[in-house]
Amino acid sequence: MFDLALIGGVPGVRSAVLGDLSGGYLDALREPDGEGVAAVMGFLSSAMTQAGDQLGLGDLRRISFAGEGTACVVAFAGASVMAARIEPARSLAAVEKALEASLLGKG
Amino acid sequence: MEAILQELLDLAGVGAAMVFDGTGRLAGHRGRAIYDRTLCEQVSGTLVKAIDSIQLQQADWDSVTAQFADGKLILRNLGSPGGRAHTLAVVADATLNSSFATVAIRVAANKVRKSIVEGGTPAPTAGAVPAAAPAGAPSASSPQLPGESKPALGSSGLSWSKVSSVGFSTIAVADPASSAFLTSCAKKLARHVGPIAKVYVEEAVRRVSPDAPFSVSIGGRLVQDLAGQIEDADDRAQFLASIEKV
Repeated sequence: MFDLALIGGVPGVRSAVLGDLSGGYLDALREPDGEGVAAVMGFLSSAMTQAGDQLGLGDLRRISFAGEGTACVVAFAGASVMAARIEPARSLAAVEKALEASLLGKG
Repeated sequence: MEAILQELLDLAGVGAAMVFDGTGRLAGHRGRAIYDRTLCEQVSGTLVKAIDSIQLQQADWDSVTAQFADGKLILRNLGSPGGRAHTLAVVADATLNSSFATVAIRVAANKVRKSIVEGGTPAPTAGAVPAAAPAGAPSASSPQLPGESKPALGSSGLSWSKVSSVGFSTIAVADPASSAFLTSCAKKLARHVGPIAKVYVEEAVRRVSPDAPFSVSIGGRLVQDLAGQIEDADDRAQFLASIEKV
């Protein structure tokens, strides 16, 4: 399980949503449309997991996507899915590193 | 195109490189061993669904990296060279030098864009596997019943293009407020019907505003049309309630 308050404190993280693999909404931090984000992330994780299975890449660990100004990282832990919106986009790598350290610390 | 993809395949750790359009049809492919064309066509169909989801969240996406236990999948948005959305995908294992690959993929993406514009996209092979339809989508080949308003995917022009200011590639909007309204509608609808929501919104816009750019002033008609796409009464009520907050 992810600690939204901890993730929300990482520099560059503007909002975060916690959901599950089926797109269900669990919690949100500074995100007014948490249910919508959780639903979309559920679909995304399902499609990307299918692509990984087809390619034989193993379990899905993380998805990150970026545009000109903002980025988003979607991380998986068990049945939980956490999506964090990042601004500016160049903070993505730092947030990914912090997220990984956080998960390893709990592991 | 093939030569550009071969350059990517020559990178240490890269197993396959492919370019596909918004329907999942391969425009080019190079791959090692198991990553043959048939497999890549299946994967591109799946990736189109993933991209649709990403575009609901971030219409201006430029790059995607999916990290797996045994490798990674890197996608680069090529925009709509030649008028059709295209994506470059690279499949790699854990030995990939990410920093070097990032630069190589960026260079390759620029070359592929130029290649598509100059030479056009090659037609898909006769044996190409059709792109997989998003969950809940009607079959493109199935006849549409009278009164059934759900669009057929095959004729929907499914792609979110950077060319369009709203990410809806096949419709026109009157102003930024109207485009924001459409994006919001697609997100709300996606909770109930999935990423196909974007297609439903595009089709609904064509129905309620066939001859003029969509304006938020007719948003009420659009919302009622979209609500009609949701079969479950509770879901329909939830959708209408969520839109009222917009």
